[in-house]
Amino acid sequence: MIIFNNIRKTYPPEITSSPQVALNDVSFSLTNGQTLGLIGANGAGKSTCIKLLMDFIRPDSGTISLQGRSPKSPEIRKHIGYLPELANFPANLTALDMLRFAGATCGMQTAAIRTASEKWLRRLGLWEDRKRPLRNYSKGMQQRANFAIALLNDPELLILDEPMSGLDPIGRADILALIADLKAQGRTILFCSHILEDVDRLVDRVVVLHKGQKLFEGPPRSLAEQQHCPTLVEGYLDLVQQVTKND
Amino acid sequence: MTDTLCRITALARLVLLDGLRRHALMGLIALSVATQTGTLLFFDFIPRDIGRASSDFILSMAWLSGFIFLFFHGVQVIALDEERKVIYSLLARPISRGEYVVGIFAGLASLLLLLNLILCGLGYGSLMLIKQMVKPVYFSQFHLDPYLLSWFGLFSMELMLLAVILLFSGLVRGSFPVLLISLSFYAICSGLPVVREAVAQQTAQNKEVSGLSPILQWMTAVFPDFDRLDFKNMIASATPIPDATLTLINFGLTLSYVAIFLWLACIVYQRRDLQ
Repeated sequence: MIIFNNIRKTYPPEITSSPQVALNDVSFSLTNGQTLGLIGANGAGKSTCIKLLMDFIRPDSGTISLQGRSPKSPEIRKHIGYLPELANFPANLTALDMLRFAGATCGMQTAAIRTASEKWLRRLGLWEDRKRPLRNYSKGMQQRANFAIALLNDPELLILDEPMSGLDPIGRADILALIADLKAQGRTILFCSHILEDVDRLVDRVVVLHKGQKLFEGPPRSLAEQQHCPTLVEGYLDLVQQVTKND
Repeated sequence: MTDTLCRITALARLVLLDGLRRHALMGLIALSVATQTGTLLFFDFIPRDIGRASSDFILSMAWLSGFIFLFFHGVQVIALDEERKVIYSLLARPISRGEYVVGIFAGLASLLLLLNLILCGLGYGSLMLIKQMVKPVYFSQFHLDPYLLSWFGLFSMELMLLAVILLFSGLVRGSFPVLLISLSFYAICSGLPVVREAVAQQTAQNKEVSGLSPILQWMTAVFPDFDRLDFKNMIASATPIPDATLTLINFGLTLSYVAIFLWLACIVYQRRDLQ
């Protein structure tokens, strides 16, 4: 489903900063029906990986393949549901406007858009607020609206950038249950998160990134075993400390 | 092709809806309507040639409204997109970057068209009222063709500026730099004919200006002359409309500029990182 092969990405210099290597020879893959978690500290390169997969930015070298196609092809995004880290909508639109836009760009019929919109807005508790401008939504509601938009066209692959970001405990539990539900349905899911407990609970495999380098790829249990630690969280911290010492 | 059109229309509709619900834009429309109806008070201060002065006032106010729309709403919608990352939410759908550029342009152009249609209708009503209120000697004639042509010229100029803003927003990050560069472009376009005229006069007087004239001619290719689309002086006077072929060439050139700027904007957006 996803092949991320020897990717290097450097952000160009700005007036006050020098070029910054965001990813250095990073490779990983994700097969159909799997759930992969990208974990790492701030600046590790998680969001860069996601932006590359969504073709918002382009790699300096290496190749990316999504279902055998380049991310540059807009058609491929008919099969992808993307959740950005921060919900950003044109300020005066409603959730329904955004859902209509999402459906129309995927070639869905008006009736199908209406049915799918109602299904997801009800499931995510936004049906009553569907006609309110998105700028009046709380952060959690905006995140849920983003989920509804991402899931509208029933995508096979979900790319979620910090899906639990800014959610209260109830909202977080709800989104966790939703992701678990989607995983049970056999969807392929790639997500990055700072909250390692959530990652441990949901993913089949993890990729640990640190300062643009891949440190580990495999099941969460293997990382804990490799570092002789009882949990993924401790295993991750131990691995990063080990690398930092060697630096 | 149909799918491409559907995607562009969906994005244009989104931009149109967002604009129609924006309070600042409603305020701009209210202000424009107020200034247009203000012509009914303004003409009272004009001692003669009321028809020409009133039509001039109406078109100038409409140009000002379009200018405010372009440089404040347009620049914000296009340039701030990247900083606020709205562009990520839009391009996460199966829409190419070229379709994104055309869709945003189409949405903003529809809003501009709506604004101009309202003001054109209102301006026509105001002029007819004024014509009935004053003696024929002060407002002897009104020609509908140059009136409509003036609005079409105004709209064409606004479309060209919109395409320029889109191009600059692809080249530069942030709304303020885009605003400054686009304003500079407009200032050069407006000032260039004056400089060209001055140089031509000096050349006619055999003064040393060799080399400057061709440079100015070439600059006109990049910074088009907006005066060619200005027909407002013909609305209330006996001045004939320029030759149809020349008028068509001028409009054709303007539309070609719009197409070229849009094409360049598509290329820039397709190549750059949306970071």
